[in-house]
Amino acid sequence: MSVQLSKPVTIIVGEGTCGIAAGAKDVFETFRKMVPEAEIKTVGCVGMCHEEVMVEILDDKGDSRLYRKVDKKNIPSILKFHQGEGEVPVELLIRSGKDPKSVQYLARQTRIALRNVGLLDPKSLEEYRNLGGYRSIEKILNKDISPEEVTEEVRKAGLRGRGGAGFPTAVKWSFARSAQGDIKYLICNGDEGDPGAFMDRSLLEGDPHSVLEGMLIAAYAIGASYGYAYIRAEYPLAVEHFGKAIRDAREAGFLGKNILGKDFDFDVKIKQGAGAFVCGEETALIASIEGDRGMPRIRPPFPAVRGLFGKPTIINNVETLANLAWIVEKGGDAYAGIGTEQSKGTKVFALAGTIKRGGLVEVPMGMTIREVLYDIGGGSSTGRPIKAVQLGGPSGGCIPESLFDTPIEYEALNATGAIMGSGGMVVMDTRSCMVDIARYFLEFTQIESCGKCTFCRIGTLRMKELLTKICDGEGTMEDIDTLEALAHQVKTSSLCGLGQTAPNPVLTTLKYFRDEYIAHVEEKRCPAGVCKGLITHTIMKDKCTGCSICKRYCPVDAITGVIKKPGSWVIDQELCINCGMCVEVCNYEAIRVQ
Amino acid sequence: MVDKALVQKWIAETGSDASAAVPLLQAVQNEYGYLPREAMNIIVSETDISASQLFGVATFYSQFRLEPVGRHIIKVCHGTACHVSGADRINTALRQSLGIREEEEDTASNGSYTIEDVACIGCCSLAPVMVIGGETFGNLKGADAQRSLKKHARQHGEFLPGHEEEISEADAPEKKSPDKRKKEVRP
Repeated sequence: MSVQLSKPVTIIVGEGTCGIAAGAKDVFETFRKMVPEAEIKTVGCVGMCHEEVMVEILDDKGDSRLYRKVDKKNIPSILKFHQGEGEVPVELLIRSGKDPKSVQYLARQTRIALRNVGLLDPKSLEEYRNLGGYRSIEKILNKDISPEEVTEEVRKAGLRGRGGAGFPTAVKWSFARSAQGDIKYLICNGDEGDPGAFMDRSLLEGDPHSVLEGMLIAAYAIGASYGYAYIRAEYPLAVEHFGKAIRDAREAGFLGKNILGKDFDFDVKIKQGAGAFVCGEETALIASIEGDRGMPRIRPPFPAVRGLFGKPTIINNVETLANLAWIVEKGGDAYAGIGTEQSKGTKVFALAGTIKRGGLVEVPMGMTIREVLYDIGGGSSTGRPIKAVQLGGPSGGCIPESLFDTPIEYEALNATGAIMGSGGMVVMDTRSCMVDIARYFLEFTQIESCGKCTFCRIGTLRMKELLTKICDGEGTMEDIDTLEALAHQVKTSSLCGLGQTAPNPVLTTLKYFRDEYIAHVEEKRCPAGVCKGLITHTIMKDKCTGCSICKRYCPVDAITGVIKKPGSWVIDQELCINCGMCVEVCNYEAIRVQ
Repeated sequence: MVDKALVQKWIAETGSDASAAVPLLQAVQNEYGYLPREAMNIIVSETDISASQLFGVATFYSQFRLEPVGRHIIKVCHGTACHVSGADRINTALRQSLGIREEEEDTASNGSYTIEDVACIGCCSLAPVMVIGGETFGNLKGADAQRSLKKHARQHGEFLPGHEEEISEADAPEKKSPDKRKKEVRP
């Protein structure tokens, strides 16, 4: 079944986690079997997750075509075109030619952190070198640029920590630089715990060397000789690719003793996280690397002065590090030229939820939320209007449609009650219940609370109970007030960021969607039709055909009737758990949710 | 049975100071699927890690399990995107297929599969998502999850509880395309 193509080609398959989940391995194998003579490569995720599996076919003249939603079945139609027969399958074509800006999704993005992701084979040091990789650290070492000058460049760039809090990177470095210590550590924080954020995964998987080069630059600036990359165990591919990058870089002389023949030693070890959201907090992360329960401690002393194993330590987020090589190469002013007065450069967002074009986007600071959602994301995927967007995960908040013209910058987003956060942007349409969302996040933070501070440990539990009560239709107006008061108390009485920000999802939904809370309490109604305690499922006799498929899928045997007798089918409300399985499987939309 | 020599090998590779606790437990769990008491005792007696530290760490991090698990683990993602697109329904559907009735239970009675809720696997644009073994399944509905589970069971020689004989039969009608199914059931 192998075919002969008209020109020799290189076939490039996107194999990030989402590509693989969409079937990239199968696609790779099929191409290998059908065009055995072609060179087949894999790259990381370009960020257009909604189009996976993506395949680029590059001929010997450098002519490129990028295809979307490739699977075993449509590969023959693609290959037919490359055999010189027939037209290019337009419905599968994302673009012809190399210019990424020809794709609407990419046209409005500015890619700095993600500059190489999706363009190179993450397992190849050579490809990274070909795209200008490790030139920044070479420039620093060969031209004897001092650590202070490197820090100054980053200060000029105005780079702020991309993990969420937005602390100026250069300021943080200068603390560690001036701290006394025979050994200093640099930690790359890849414990991306926010549900809904996956930019760190994509960077570590798709362009690990740029993160590693960022670590080298940061280590040089603060005088660190050892580094740790703390990566979530849930990201096996990221661990694999980053591990390979470390080994290759060590072999090429970019890690180890006397790097590039200069007086600069640095080496990196991977530490896999073991599943604790709180370990994103600096002191908890340090405790975790030291082998303890990941519980935060009082600061000061800050890690920059007394951190890992008692030594001065700097912890930088993956995305922060991925920006550094670009800043050193192009200069701090070039970076500062992008963005706004207070927030410079770009920010990566993980766009997900009910959005047409979900995936990773990198936009200049100052772009509005609306532009990201509609111009890049293409608007709602369900046809129902977008009601809100959740920014910043469990530490962030829900921003309503009326505030979508808010520019993306740290201060402006903080003013809404949400935060920039690490970059999760989950889009919700009118079928999402805001009380349920608040309850969901509270449940998350309550489970993830390490238990050190009473308000975080008990307060979040009480808040969750109140929210559950409201979702079940048993809440009172007084409960809403108690919830609000408790939220403020948890915020002010917790030691670390987890507890201080945990109430944000509740406070923002109370601020912008209070009417939904009131509907749950006073009318015993969930406007979005989500909360199980407030909805019922019934079979509409006029639409039912009596096919019995709902009965087969009902997990609690609540549905009874006679086959092919539409009028006979009913759901026993006593037994029904409102799971919604019947709605999903019904081919005739005969189940009503009220 | 825990292989003592194997645990000793991991200790030799990882080190025996306090900071080895997490990687050692990860190695044990990779091998046995959970943390057998015996393996933890070996670590305590052969390293500088105290029993209280080791158990403290084992109970703190959500990755670690102290009870045996099924032969296969199904990770159901409960990230934000998955939550809003119906991750709970995936659990309901899988629990139905596996005959898990009690709320606090997560493993099928025949020891085949364990359902584990995870925070976020980072495939948000494919939500809702589940992972069985190393394979990721995306854009799922409850019925899709059941179908993928059955397929996985067939490929790995597993039986779903209560379906030991009828599995291949019960599977047949769902493999047909929706159009065909529609025709068939129209009165």
